[in-house]
Amino acid sequence: MALDIRKFIQRFIEEARDHLSNMGEGLAALEQGGGDAELINGLFRSAHTIKGSSRMLKLVPVTETAHSLEDLLSALREQRVSASPGVCSLLYQGVDALTDLVEQLTNNPDPAALTPVNSQLCQALKAAAEEQQLLSVEPAASASVPEVIVAPEVVQEASNPALRTSDTVRIRLSKLEELIKLMGEVVSSHAGFRELVDTARQLDRRGQLEGRGELPAAWHQFTRNLRETVIAQEDLMQELHDKALQMRMLPLNIVFEPASRLVRDLARSLGKQVECRIRGAEIELDRQMIDQLADPVIHLLRNALDHGIETPEARQAKGKPSQGLVSLSARQDGGWVELEISDDGAGISLEAIRSKALKKELVTPEQLETMSDQEVMDLIFLPGFSTSAMITELSGRGVGMDVVKRSIVDGLQGVISMHSTPGEGSRFVLRLPLSLAMMRVLLVQSAGHQVGFTAQYVAELISMPETALINVADRNAVIIRNEFVPVVNLAELIGLPALPEERRLLPRTEKDLLLLVTRVHHEKLALVVDELLDERDLVIKQLPEHLRDRPMIAGMVTTGHNRLVSLLHVPCLMDMARRSRQPSAVSATTAKTEKQRRILVVDDSLNTREIERDVLEAWGYQVTLAENGQDGLDKALADDFDAVLTDVEMPVMDGFTLTARLRQDERYSNRPIVIITSREKESDRRRGIEVGADAYIVKGSFDQNSLVDTLRVLLD
Amino acid sequence: MLILVVDDDALAGEMTAAVLEDQGHQVIQAEDAVSAMEQLNEHPGIELIVSDMNMPLVSGVELFRELREQGKKLPFILLTGDDPAVASAQEPALDACIMKDFSLDETLPQAIAQVLAGYN
Repeated sequence: MALDIRKFIQRFIEEARDHLSNMGEGLAALEQGGGDAELINGLFRSAHTIKGSSRMLKLVPVTETAHSLEDLLSALREQRVSASPGVCSLLYQGVDALTDLVEQLTNNPDPAALTPVNSQLCQALKAAAEEQQLLSVEPAASASVPEVIVAPEVVQEASNPALRTSDTVRIRLSKLEELIKLMGEVVSSHAGFRELVDTARQLDRRGQLEGRGELPAAWHQFTRNLRETVIAQEDLMQELHDKALQMRMLPLNIVFEPASRLVRDLARSLGKQVECRIRGAEIELDRQMIDQLADPVIHLLRNALDHGIETPEARQAKGKPSQGLVSLSARQDGGWVELEISDDGAGISLEAIRSKALKKELVTPEQLETMSDQEVMDLIFLPGFSTSAMITELSGRGVGMDVVKRSIVDGLQGVISMHSTPGEGSRFVLRLPLSLAMMRVLLVQSAGHQVGFTAQYVAELISMPETALINVADRNAVIIRNEFVPVVNLAELIGLPALPEERRLLPRTEKDLLLLVTRVHHEKLALVVDELLDERDLVIKQLPEHLRDRPMIAGMVTTGHNRLVSLLHVPCLMDMARRSRQPSAVSATTAKTEKQRRILVVDDSLNTREIERDVLEAWGYQVTLAENGQDGLDKALADDFDAVLTDVEMPVMDGFTLTARLRQDERYSNRPIVIITSREKESDRRRGIEVGADAYIVKGSFDQNSLVDTLRVLLD
Repeated sequence: MLILVVDDDALAGEMTAAVLEDQGHQVIQAEDAVSAMEQLNEHPGIELIVSDMNMPLVSGVELFRELREQGKKLPFILLTGDDPAVASAQEPALDACIMKDFSLDETLPQAIAQVLAGYN
């Protein structure tokens, strides 16, 4: 050959990439029904150009694939075939096959080294181009046929776009897993070195005490060198481990892209018009998480389409645009990623949730009465709530919202919450860690046992004198910044048997209680622990398969000396703490007096509301809760209460304003209003009285008897 | 010899040009029929046209017919990515019609030789 035309291969790769990416976009538009002539023509031209230049370079598999693609696009252009989902899927596979071939060329620019053409795919494309009658007569059948023909590896390629960018090496996932596992072991075993350094330092100190001389000095020097080396090594290893984990990160696009296709398909089958808007698909998560994320996301989307978005007619009747909007967005927030799945559909009314929960006997009317709006909303996550009656075949699949919640909370160590406004839509927020492999962990000791907590659930660690505990409604609580937080002893809560205390280097001398304040959403729980042992980033090991169903243990970590420590799952501890105090609450509600006084409790802290409710219920009052001043005002005016208890600092409307507004209402002009606050200043107290409060109780000096006595005096 | 190469795919055009330049020819490129016309006006020395068939707006065959209508009788070789027989059948007056593939470095010089022999 006189002319080495192969030097053009690099140019070809670059241009083909441009064409392929244009085709990808074009196909997406085509799939969404934007199949105008110009669009199809553009697609055709791209396929044609790739075919032409690849043929000149003797890239046979590329030429043949592009040719087949061109055939189908040509049929589409001449309107012999319509852009059915089956056709679109084939076109996508063709483009993916081409992309794959072009990437092969990038790695090895020898045309002879290309994998042979996927002739099944080419045949499927050609068949689709010719079988126009079939397609038009029986769209459902013909749409599915080509997809079956296509070899499975083509589909697999499509699900892995991260490995398709340039300058990549393909590695089997299992090899990567092995590497990361090994890396984890190395990081874990390094803890042993830290222990050795500690021992060396203790020996050094003893040597210093016992006498001077050459040996102690040399030993001192050795200890210092050892320590520095170990610390330097730790930094390097940490970085190596981070990099290894990074290799397993994949963009969220892997979940989002099929999800958006799913939305379009579902919308079509339901006869609804829906736009799916995606944001933040480039954010990367550990593959381990991506795998587990798909099901819950799909379930939430199905729900949004099935129950959320209304039919075009219904939307028009409500004055909304006939096309609904489902949006799927992600944003990164430190070591967390927040996913939001929202729709602008019908939303869920609290009333509907209440009546359904009652019908399903998930709650008693008394319990329901005392629940805040958010608590009512959270009922949808209860097992047995979202079953048959509400769910059609589409979003059913035998899975309820409880399973979604479980996979987010237990499987992914995340948090899920739901917000909904009737008529305006629903919004689910999922907060997830970026990776499950490594997390910030606090190691604490309780009754002689070591246990771990992942930092995401830990709000703070505080030391308090035992006298700071207050006893309300048969349990302990502390007041932390204007909020009641229940206190339980960790060892008692989970039934840890007391171990003989181990020798400690630095025993805690103070008699104060050490409180580990945990938080899930707005709920807090303070756990009494013996001491904090360590806080660092640790590699989390999964429990072995046969122990995975233990909800209380989220995983294991290894500390020095190869010791395994269980990580406690805080949401589960909260459930246990709640259950342990349930009996008293039930007995209080059942012990109805003939004439129950009704009290409205207004406070923006969930814990505080609950504790005040428990205190009052224990004394036979019937309690309704409100989250802020406005909520309180609405509830007070809509109903009739014998007394109102309110906090001062709250969002939307504060307690002073609430008090003043209530006083303007005829019914409440003389009813008792009690302000409970952490504001101790005399000026605040005066202001409380000025706006018309009957009593002003400072939380710091909270005594349940004084509250109850005050109420009794005011009510009688 | 000064040759005009018309191809909307710049890469394919350059490869064609490379083949011709390797044969000792001088090449002027145009990316569509309109700029081909401009180049023809600008460079009266052009002796031969090698054009791609499939181009947006005006195809290779249409360019050929337009030139003939305007009375320009330059030898015209059509390159196509599809079957050359189809294009030849479409416009029998074409001087030559060859497949645009990896053997272009042999087929194109051959075609030029034959076409020129016919004109002389």
